[in-house]
Amino acid sequence: MRRQVIVLIVQLGLLMSNPLSASAQASISAADWQAYKEHFVESSGRVIDDANGNISHSEGQGYGLLLSYLAGQKSDFDLIWSFTRTELLLRDDGLAVWKWDPAADPHVSDVNNATDGDLLIAYALALAGASWSRTDFTEAAGTIARAIGTEAVFETQNRMLIRPAVKGFDKDERADAPVVNISYWVFEAFPALSSIVPDVNWQRVSDDGIALISESRLGPKELPPDWISVATRPKPAAGFPDQFGYNALRIPLYLMRNGNRDPELLRPFLKGMSGADGSVQLIDIESGNVHANLADPGYRIILALMSCVLDGVKLPQDVRTFTPTLYYPSTLHLLGLSFANSEHPECLQ
Amino acid sequence: MRVLPIFVFGAVIAAGAYGAQQMGLLDSIAPTEPSTPVVEQASAPPIPVVHQPAATPANGIRRPEAQGTVRSNSDEKVAQNNAASSSPPPPGKPAVDETALRYFASKGDTKRLQAEIARLKALYPQWTPPADPLAVQPIGDTELDRMWTLYSEGKLGELRKAIADRQQKEAGWTVPSDLLERLAVAESRDQLINASNLKQYQTVVRLASATPSLLTCAEIDVLWRVADAFVQTERQQRAIEAYDYVLANCADPAERLATMQKASSALPREELEKLLTREKTGPDGIGEFASVRDDLARRGVSAGGADPKLVVDPADVAAVERLARDGGLETDQLLLGWYYLRRDNAKAAEEWFRKARDTKNTAESSQGLALSLVALKRFSEAEDVLYQWRDGSDEILAVYLAATAGLLGMETQTPIASEILQRIVPVIYEARDVVNAQQLGWYALALNQFQTAAQWFSTALSWKPDDEPSAYGLVLTRARLGDRVGVRDIQAAWQGRSERIAQLGMTSTNPPGTPAAIPNVTLPPRATVPAGSDTNLPPSSLVTPYSATPVSPLSPVPAMPAQTGEAIFPNGAGATLPVTPQAAPAPVSPTEVRPARQARSGTAPARGCRSTIPPGSLSPQAALDRGWCLMNMNRPLEAAPAFEVALRSGSAKIRTDAAYGQSLAYLRAGLAREAAVAATKAPQDRQRTTELRTAILANQATEAFDGGRYVESLLALDERARIAPEQIDLMVLRGYAYLNLGRLGDAERVFEAVAATGSREGAKGLSAISDIRNPQGGG
Repeated sequence: MRRQVIVLIVQLGLLMSNPLSASAQASISAADWQAYKEHFVESSGRVIDDANGNISHSEGQGYGLLLSYLAGQKSDFDLIWSFTRTELLLRDDGLAVWKWDPAADPHVSDVNNATDGDLLIAYALALAGASWSRTDFTEAAGTIARAIGTEAVFETQNRMLIRPAVKGFDKDERADAPVVNISYWVFEAFPALSSIVPDVNWQRVSDDGIALISESRLGPKELPPDWISVATRPKPAAGFPDQFGYNALRIPLYLMRNGNRDPELLRPFLKGMSGADGSVQLIDIESGNVHANLADPGYRIILALMSCVLDGVKLPQDVRTFTPTLYYPSTLHLLGLSFANSEHPECLQ
Repeated sequence: MRVLPIFVFGAVIAAGAYGAQQMGLLDSIAPTEPSTPVVEQASAPPIPVVHQPAATPANGIRRPEAQGTVRSNSDEKVAQNNAASSSPPPPGKPAVDETALRYFASKGDTKRLQAEIARLKALYPQWTPPADPLAVQPIGDTELDRMWTLYSEGKLGELRKAIADRQQKEAGWTVPSDLLERLAVAESRDQLINASNLKQYQTVVRLASATPSLLTCAEIDVLWRVADAFVQTERQQRAIEAYDYVLANCADPAERLATMQKASSALPREELEKLLTREKTGPDGIGEFASVRDDLARRGVSAGGADPKLVVDPADVAAVERLARDGGLETDQLLLGWYYLRRDNAKAAEEWFRKARDTKNTAESSQGLALSLVALKRFSEAEDVLYQWRDGSDEILAVYLAATAGLLGMETQTPIASEILQRIVPVIYEARDVVNAQQLGWYALALNQFQTAAQWFSTALSWKPDDEPSAYGLVLTRARLGDRVGVRDIQAAWQGRSERIAQLGMTSTNPPGTPAAIPNVTLPPRATVPAGSDTNLPPSSLVTPYSATPVSPLSPVPAMPAQTGEAIFPNGAGATLPVTPQAAPAPVSPTEVRPARQARSGTAPARGCRSTIPPGSLSPQAALDRGWCLMNMNRPLEAAPAFEVALRSGSAKIRTDAAYGQSLAYLRAGLAREAAVAATKAPQDRQRTTELRTAILANQATEAFDGGRYVESLLALDERARIAPEQIDLMVLRGYAYLNLGRLGDAERVFEAVAATGSREGAKGLSAISDIRNPQGGG
């Protein structure tokens, strides 16, 4: 049985519809958070990607902040934020450097950012700042969000899109530019960022991201590739594996967590991603062949949630309990459980 | 809104904290070590602090004395002696947070303890430090102690967590503001240093502005990084202010000097004057920035050495001269050498370059000295100085060749020593240096070495067909040789391009005393090189390898020069002439390896054999490769010994190739006898055997002809004709041999055959025969 921690929130006088003012009950249990933390968060506050040479990155820090917030763990949030701030928030433009390698000296060798990491960090700071009355968090969230708006949001062919990083994805950097990654759209972050940086049109970014999903259903399985060139109509970007892969499998999770239950949007994912025994299939776009079958419950929960949201199928037992495996699926698992706990408890009954 | 520059320390923006004027008191304490080591401050002033090992967790905050008592701050010892045991303060008075004090004392960190005491005294002038910071009442705050430990270990994230945990657990607990402040500063420092390492300069400046307490002498590394960030973002004035702050306020001598050095490498010299005025003078009367001033003077002189138009402060020159004399550093001597050389003061330049070279013989000092000597027209010394370094670079080679050209071209010509000539000539040849080739032509001409002169002028022209002086030299030489046709050829080729060539009158070239009846016979075509033709044969060196042979008395042709065997010096060191790198032209040989012309643009395909290596040190295979390389570079007389080493190989293939190569080398060098011997040193296949044999015989035929031994020449030609067809030029040789032997009928037959091939030589030869048969009278 999970112990729920109830945290009192000071109302900021904002509208009840403001996501940041909603009272936050911890949707991740202390035990689950503890298990995650023991495996993936070092005492210095850096989140460890144990499938990737134990490096840290802005995505991991963002997930760590978000999960600790969802678990109501203030001091762990402080811990993770301390590392994030002193070691990654170094760029002149206010965004985070994307990678930190314990084995390298200096630890940071590439100062490029990764926009999904920045979005996650800003989002978690916005949530925590509002819930815990930490103006320092809110201010920091605003700085990062403004930087994202300035450096990473761009218009092309009447769409407002997110560039995956400040460097490397634009015209005169690649032939098939601009290139985007739909899984970098952390849909739930946009309403939160609207509250603190309203002069960026986050709503439009969100809407155009969803539109892009619909236009990017490619190949026999009608799934979007991880990396997409939008120079003309969407097609797989050159130089990347032409796959619905580890990146894109997050898209339905992000959609659901943002409250999207549109079957037109979700069912193609459910159909295309489902493998035998509820495992997640990674697909080669052009052939439609299965590239890999992922059985980790952290991936399977995504399918299970879609089944529940669309068809009312309760979550199977094996995805209800959390045991840490690797950083990435474990992160997705907790995000999935958090979503079920707070928005769809009926799926867990 | 009042805008405060980043470095205002008298009134920091932060709420009322630090009002002290003396900078020492504002030294913030940095328990976390900066990432770059900072030189330790001088030892702490003496305050008796008893250090006890922290056996029991004796924690506590000692409450200060009653605030009403005024203590004299300057008399710390008295105050300490008067400090009674702790008594709780009257209620309502603010308590001085002495946690850090106690903490550093317990760690034995005297330095930080002193700094903390100073800081607290600045904050609370009425406060007196406890006599023994360790002897405070413990209040059992192990947790706070643990927090300080985390802080001192730089575990800032954990400390944040610990603080947050405690705040949640203990509702009434407030974080010591001191701890919180320090934590924020430490985090900012880490972030600033990280950003600085990644060259994110705006972040550095932003963090520094937000955390002014970082900008103190105890954080010299931060100050330097901030100054550097200003430099890199083109905010020079802010950078100067930053450096100036350090020099105005910070005491550590090593840090001050380092600051001045950083400033001098980042800022233009004009801006440094202000900073240099902050210089303190030591007890020995020497300024602390003397080394920086010295380097600035060096920089000034160095810039003057690079740009002759630059106006260099004479004080700089004087300073560097003093440094050079006192310190004897080669680099300083070189600086002065280049400085003077650029300003055409060759005498001074020579003095300094020589000093530098005496200190250390390097390519640079030798180059500089050679340049100075060339400017002073001391070419022989220049050549001598630079010879060993000639291969160092294209530039150095150019200087060397300037020296040799000057040496060769000197008006008052004392003969150049043979070993000098021997080393100069290969360099000139390999470099294809037109000026030097031309100078060699004049040099030879001055010593009546006509053949050699002609060959050098021709070579120069082959390298640069439009070199008029070489053409002039060649036409003169041909005139001296009586080569009318040759003269006319050049005049025709240079018509309209050279007055003096056009105006050259052909005087009779008969040496005095010869019968006038026999007209001049043209030289065998082999020795005639029309202007502009590309011969890939090296001209004779000025020292030839074989001894002189007398002209055969049979020769009716007085104009036939017998000079190929002549030694260069009038006293004739002929018999014992050393083997030279370049010998007489080899006969036309079908197997001749075309020497690959080395482009002198720095792409050195034969890089492997440019330098001198004793072949005995090489393996047979390497020696063989080196031999071919040398042949490619047209150094057959160096190739031969290399091939000799290769002949020692255990591999039959290598020996065969080596013998072949050595034979070719000797052929190229015109040493037919040696070539014949070499050919036998290892079995060759039939093709090569024939090839070598025909070449050797052709060589022997030519050699004999040159020596006037026409019968011998014909014998060689006959033998050769038995194994290979006789080409035109050998037929012509045969024709002239017959002619010189008076066998006009045979000669005519040969020349008719030659004419039938369309070669002009046939007609010439027939004409010569006709002249002999029907003399036109004196000529």
